[in-house]
Amino acid sequence: MKDTAILLEHVSKSYRLSHQPYSSLKGILLSMFRYRRRIEVHQALNDVSLTIRHGETVGLIGVNGSGKSTLLAIIARVIRPSAGRVQVNGRVAPLLQLGVGFHPDLTGLENVYFNGIILGLTRQQIAERLPSIVRFAELEEFIDTPVRAYSSGMVLRLGFAVAVHTDPEIILMDEVLAVGDEAFQHKCLRKIQEFQHEGRTILLVSHDMNQVRQVATRTVWLHQGRVMADGATDEVVRQYLAFTEEMERRAI
Amino acid sequence: MLNELRELYRYRELLWTLVLRELRVRYKNSYLGFFWSLIVPLVTVAVLTIVFKRVMGMVIPNYSAYVLAAFLPWMYFQTALLDSSQSVLAQIQLVKKVYFPREVLPLAAVLANLIHFVLALLVFFVYLLGYVGAPLLPSVALLPVLVFFQTLLIAGLSLIISCLNVFYEDTKYIVSIGLQLMFYLVPVIYFSEQVYHAQIASPEWQRWIYLLYHLNPIAMLMTAYRKILLPPITVQQIGAVQKQTFASLPMDWGLLAVACAVSVVVFMLGYAFFNKRKWDFAEQP
Repeated sequence: MKDTAILLEHVSKSYRLSHQPYSSLKGILLSMFRYRRRIEVHQALNDVSLTIRHGETVGLIGVNGSGKSTLLAIIARVIRPSAGRVQVNGRVAPLLQLGVGFHPDLTGLENVYFNGIILGLTRQQIAERLPSIVRFAELEEFIDTPVRAYSSGMVLRLGFAVAVHTDPEIILMDEVLAVGDEAFQHKCLRKIQEFQHEGRTILLVSHDMNQVRQVATRTVWLHQGRVMADGATDEVVRQYLAFTEEMERRAI
Repeated sequence: MLNELRELYRYRELLWTLVLRELRVRYKNSYLGFFWSLIVPLVTVAVLTIVFKRVMGMVIPNYSAYVLAAFLPWMYFQTALLDSSQSVLAQIQLVKKVYFPREVLPLAAVLANLIHFVLALLVFFVYLLGYVGAPLLPSVALLPVLVFFQTLLIAGLSLIISCLNVFYEDTKYIVSIGLQLMFYLVPVIYFSEQVYHAQIASPEWQRWIYLLYHLNPIAMLMTAYRKILLPPITVQQIGAVQKQTFASLPMDWGLLAVACAVSVVVFMLGYAFFNKRKWDFAEQP
């Protein structure tokens, strides 16, 4: 199975949701005076099996709370599944949301180093790629300015620039393209297409069906932690849109 | 635990980058920068010296040197624990998105404070040789040993505190109150000899109180810092009724060995505690 990038076998993830969350001492003390703690188990993922081959671009769609982000977090090794087996072959780079991992008091350059290292690059690799990163982010004049002074678009460009320069084999994108202006989105789409040509694997969580249609070669629709459909993008998106329309009609 | 340590070693560059970032950020927007971490102990010690010499009537030559020898390690202990309590929670967005050994966050906070402590010690030696004119004792060679075990103790506690603080944010308040109270239970403003002669117990119990007091590893380490850095001293206190004299006690090596052993155990327990819970951090809402 050399061409398998991501293999998920019967993966489940459950969270314990207590109605009196233990976020404070008060919570603990209060709950001691109750007869029993009501703990509900929320099944975020329920027996999900997926095989993603190298070079595929897979769209993950579904309503809010369907388990898309949990699935991505499990692939990124950030959370561990409650049951099932996960195998990831290749270096994973999550594209971070706006400003995550940036320190406002540090300059763009200092933040590039920190971000690159946390995504698995060495200092030397970052130094080699620095000119290219700065050019991609279009921040030549501002790279020595504290990030505090950046616009949100600039922060976004810099974060994206570092992530795409980590030379990842598997790229995880969780709604990262939703922000940013037209020009930036075009640039990102071009980069995604470049990645596709290079045979990299991309997992894209999005609510923008046009975007999914544009880039994903395959789409997985999750609903309440289960795989509802998995196949050619056009077909799965059509099914999903029909389903959401039906839900909306019923809600009215 | 060995596997975890190996993975931590693989991420040493991240740890080091975090340490540098912490040092850089702390004084980024202040004019005096690093000197702030010297000004705080110096001003504190100046005030303590005036109060204890002039008001409380302690008769000790170079009292401020003895205070400083214990106050600098105390500052290290206190600021490292306070900094690390928030370390994981402050980066929770990153923790939710990127894989890396989570322990780098509290450990970076500890190491950044260790660097401050070492720099402050260098300044202390300049003060000692230049101003006090005291000769360096041969026992100063033991200083790295004390710093090492104190760092293990701090790291172990930091791992526990930073982990608990993700789930219960009350932790940082409890730690901050605990540290304020702890300050009076360690020999900074007074001397361990005064504990030995404490008048809260009959003479046959004094030995036990002294022992109990020094079973607290941080108290024992601070007594040890004083004894290895500075010559023994006889403390005199002029009270309202009588003048009391506290003769210097020799270093209790047995108690120091216990403190070092406790530090190692605290580190191992703290790391095990942290490892057991570190993959639940990202699940916090």
